Amino acid sequence: MTYEILNICGQGFYFKLDGFRLIYCCIALFMWSVSLLFSKEYFAHYSHKARYYGFLILTMFATLGVFLSADFMTMFIFFEIMSLSSYVWVAQEETEAALKAGVTYLAIAVIGGMVMLMGLFLMQSAVGTLRMDELYTAVQSVWDEKSAQIYAAGFLMLFGFGAKAGMFPLHFWLPKAHPVAPAPASALLSGILTKCGVFGILVLTAEVFVHNFIWGSVILALGVLGMVAGAVLAVFSVNLKRTLACSSVSQIGFILIGVGMQCFLGGENALAVRGTFLHMVNHSLIKLLLFNCAGVVYMNLHALELNDVRGFGRKKPFLMGCFLMGALGIGGMPLWNGYVSKTLLHESIVEYIAVLAETGGNVWLFKSIEWIFLISGGLTVAYMLKLFICLFIEEHPTKQAEYDAMTSYMSPLSRIVIGCAAVVLPLMGFFPGGTMDKMADAVMGFMRSGSMEHSVYYFTWTNLKGGLISICIGILVYVFVVRKVFVRNGKYVDLWPKWLDIEAAFTRIIFAFLKVLGAGSRVVDGFLTQWCTVEGMLKALEAVSRGADGLSERAVAYLKGTVYRETTEKSVNSFVQSLHEHYDKKVDNMRLVGSSLSFGLLLACIGLILTIVYLLMH
Amino acid sequence: MNSVFLIIAVLIPLLGGAALFLAKDLEYKRLQVICEILTVLTSILVWTLVFHRPEEEILLFQLTGNLRIILKLDGLGCIFAGLVAFLWPLANLYAFEYMSHDEKRRHVFFGFYIMTYGVTLGIAFAGNILTLYFFYELLTLVTVYLVMHPMHKKAIRASRMYLYYSLGGAAFAFLSIICLTIFGDTTNFVLGGVLDMEKVSAHPNWVLTMFLLAFCGFGVKAALFPFHGWLPRASVAPTPVTALLHAVAVVKSGAFAIIRIIYYSYGADFLRGTWAQYVVMAMAMLTILYASTMAVKEIHLKRRLAYSTISNLSYILLGATMMTPLGMIGAVSHLVMHAFMKICGFFCVGAVMHQTDRNYLAEIEGLGRKMPVIFGCFTIAGISLAGIPPMAGFISKWNIGTAALMSENPLGYAAMGVLLYSAFMTAIYMGVIILKAWFPRKTCTNTFSEKDRDPNWKMKLPILVFACMLICLGLFSRPLVNVIKAIAYGNL
Repeated sequence: MTYEILNICGQGFYFKLDGFRLIYCCIALFMWSVSLLFSKEYFAHYSHKARYYGFLILTMFATLGVFLSADFMTMFIFFEIMSLSSYVWVAQEETEAALKAGVTYLAIAVIGGMVMLMGLFLMQSAVGTLRMDELYTAVQSVWDEKSAQIYAAGFLMLFGFGAKAGMFPLHFWLPKAHPVAPAPASALLSGILTKCGVFGILVLTAEVFVHNFIWGSVILALGVLGMVAGAVLAVFSVNLKRTLACSSVSQIGFILIGVGMQCFLGGENALAVRGTFLHMVNHSLIKLLLFNCAGVVYMNLHALELNDVRGFGRKKPFLMGCFLMGALGIGGMPLWNGYVSKTLLHESIVEYIAVLAETGGNVWLFKSIEWIFLISGGLTVAYMLKLFICLFIEEHPTKQAEYDAMTSYMSPLSRIVIGCAAVVLPLMGFFPGGTMDKMADAVMGFMRSGSMEHSVYYFTWTNLKGGLISICIGILVYVFVVRKVFVRNGKYVDLWPKWLDIEAAFTRIIFAFLKVLGAGSRVVDGFLTQWCTVEGMLKALEAVSRGADGLSERAVAYLKGTVYRETTEKSVNSFVQSLHEHYDKKVDNMRLVGSSLSFGLLLACIGLILTIVYLLMH
Repeated sequence: MNSVFLIIAVLIPLLGGAALFLAKDLEYKRLQVICEILTVLTSILVWTLVFHRPEEEILLFQLTGNLRIILKLDGLGCIFAGLVAFLWPLANLYAFEYMSHDEKRRHVFFGFYIMTYGVTLGIAFAGNILTLYFFYELLTLVTVYLVMHPMHKKAIRASRMYLYYSLGGAAFAFLSIICLTIFGDTTNFVLGGVLDMEKVSAHPNWVLTMFLLAFCGFGVKAALFPFHGWLPRASVAPTPVTALLHAVAVVKSGAFAIIRIIYYSYGADFLRGTWAQYVVMAMAMLTILYASTMAVKEIHLKRRLAYSTISNLSYILLGATMMTPLGMIGAVSHLVMHAFMKICGFFCVGAVMHQTDRNYLAEIEGLGRKMPVIFGCFTIAGISLAGIPPMAGFISKWNIGTAALMSENPLGYAAMGVLLYSAFMTAIYMGVIILKAWFPRKTCTNTFSEKDRDPNWKMKLPILVFACMLICLGLFSRPLVNVIKAIAYGNL
């Protein structure tokens, strides 16, 4: 189903509703309703509520616009509205940290948006259309002569979409923005706004770079890096929401691996397509739940550091139950939803290894990716264990009694909405055939993928093995690394080295660049104001005339040295001066001559002679 | 309509403004009414002329031989005349309020302010290069006083500088006009150019050099680097002048003249691919880079916007120097869109200065909540300037960008890079103001008093109208862009 609005925003809007878009719009609406309803309690004691709600709704419409768009131009317009209006969420609390994070967020949004726009320009000029349903044929027809331009356009757009999606190395806004944003907003930032970026990457993969090896390997590489980096960051983190934010980076990495595998597997990429899509859905729902649980903690304690919040969840079975659902889901525990999508992603790697082995290709690279995948899954388990044990099992050294006394920590409304968000996860995991497989079937057309040759049985030994390996790794990491290294004297310590802050490095480079340019401009400006004004010109004229003056003086000096040899005076300061003296002397002499009688007689004689000559001539 | 009305449209403000000089003892209220009636009358006449365009030209007077001063309204002139006719009455309202505290020589100020309207219309209606030049020089003369109006040392210096720059620039342009009379069939404006190729083929480089001179000469008013020095300094003038003249009427006249000489005198086809095109494109790009960087460094609000104007004017020039119909579409659409964006931005900053006496970036921190309407509109202008959809600025930047890529000119790709860089810088220099105003730091020490509030309706109305226009032009740009397209392809 398509819908077109002509004559608006230059190019007109073009929307489409298909399986993928329908499912994601439903998920978006579900997430927004959960967040909105939970916001009521969360913001009970806040100021600027109207602003928050206003921008929440505006962003919702923009996000729906992104997911419904069937034209990159339309998508870009809604994407920008979404990026800018969600800034208000990040800066909502107006603390120093929030404003700083807001600037980072905005910078990423604006830079990403502009780079994406450049990509759109290039794509438009190379292919001639930005409509998603026309792109495939249009790209195929000009691919041979314009592939370089299309690659350039694609990677520029990947930059823009990746910046929003939290793709490595543009992920640094997530760990900064999420902890400072209000929890219902961070649930949306992490759960759905990042998916807008992924959506863009998926469209590029499905319509422009279909089964493209280069595109696939770039995305795969970035996915693997993001997956590992996010997981490691999350294990190091000692802040509840920061851990969840880093976890988002890692999960986006998992999704991008799926996207990369779609390209590698070519025509038979059904496994990868289903894994990618289902992991997107699962991550959205899980992060919605987990961030809102973190919101419950923050709402009561106004703290997020693990050392401060530990023990808060003891004797609060409802909160524990909800958090556990999310933790099990994201950890990939069989019977929960995350297990299904991770298994599919894992199987897609395994399938490609089998394909490589059949054709005699080198399998060690993908073998190692498979192991990195399993280890990252293990790290996921490890950091979720860290959060869970800290919140619900350990006791706070001083305030435990106070925490235990907080029995009315949530209003009934919040219990209902967060409970709803929690129930969905095991429901999907227990009955994958009835829920998740149906969803995945609906998106195969969107991704240009054929149907599965046979349905996947998630609970067979081969499939369970991968999940169990991850869980074992996770428990081992938790017991031997987290407990031994990150807990010292009963406290969680932040061991992440400061110099490894990617954003700081980025800003340093950018600022250095700006400084150089700024200094250049200032030099030019100074030069211009000094010399290109009237005063400057006069000065220059003066300098020129002074130079000419000196030159003529030298010329006179030369002449004087050759012609007026008779001068006896030796000690003359300036030759012009001496010339003057000569002249004065001459004038004086002439005056004397002119006023004398003999000069008068002389003139009279000359007159007489002239008269005689005249008479003689006639 | 009869083309005599063209003369009437120019003369009403010109003579009316001159008559105001005599009205020394007129009450301020009466002065306002007279000014507003004059401008609204002219604007109505201009809009009627735009929709019922007189086809034939009309001779104003003949200098000597075939040097004639003629008025003729064509499509491009319609766009420019319609634009100023829309802006002037609203800007007048704003000026009344802005000048309400400044009682000395107010009648002279408004006299010149309204005369400028007539001269600007003269530029829009100019039928040949000589008429354009005539009104162009006149524009310099009538606007000098407006810069000088505060009459302090800085203002006088700025106005002197403006005078020298502008007259000097026009002298360059004059040489080029002579060249056109020698090498051209006629000096009238004809889309596609008037050069006689047989004559030109003997001295192509000579003609190109003359074109370059004209570009630089008219570029002085369009604040082309390195002739831009007068513009940031001229921001000492009262805000109605900075906003309407130094963001629209005067500087756009420069850009308009350049579009005229490229597309209507020398001809885009003759210039495309020559060394002269590369030189002028490089100049425009350099200006964009330079000015957008300087804007980020500037902390005086009005000067910051002035640098932004320099950079945006060169967007127009960059579009124009693509020497393709698409480039002209980009240039003309940015000419229109930027007028609304920048006048809105300047008016907001002026309102802040007028209400609170705050001039510097640090002083406005936290002012957003005190003046929500003003900063709301400023936010729209800022977003639009950065070229973020769905605002008007996005449309024109898209048009320029498309033109750059479609021009098949190697510098087109460089132009994309320049646009990208400038978009970042715009986002920074406008974004910082917006963020500071709306989201003050907790440590901010600014204190606010009773008078820090939104101004009265005379200031708010124009600003709100312009902000609405930015959104409307962004959402529904098709009709305008279609008209510009028709003009660029010679169908209108």
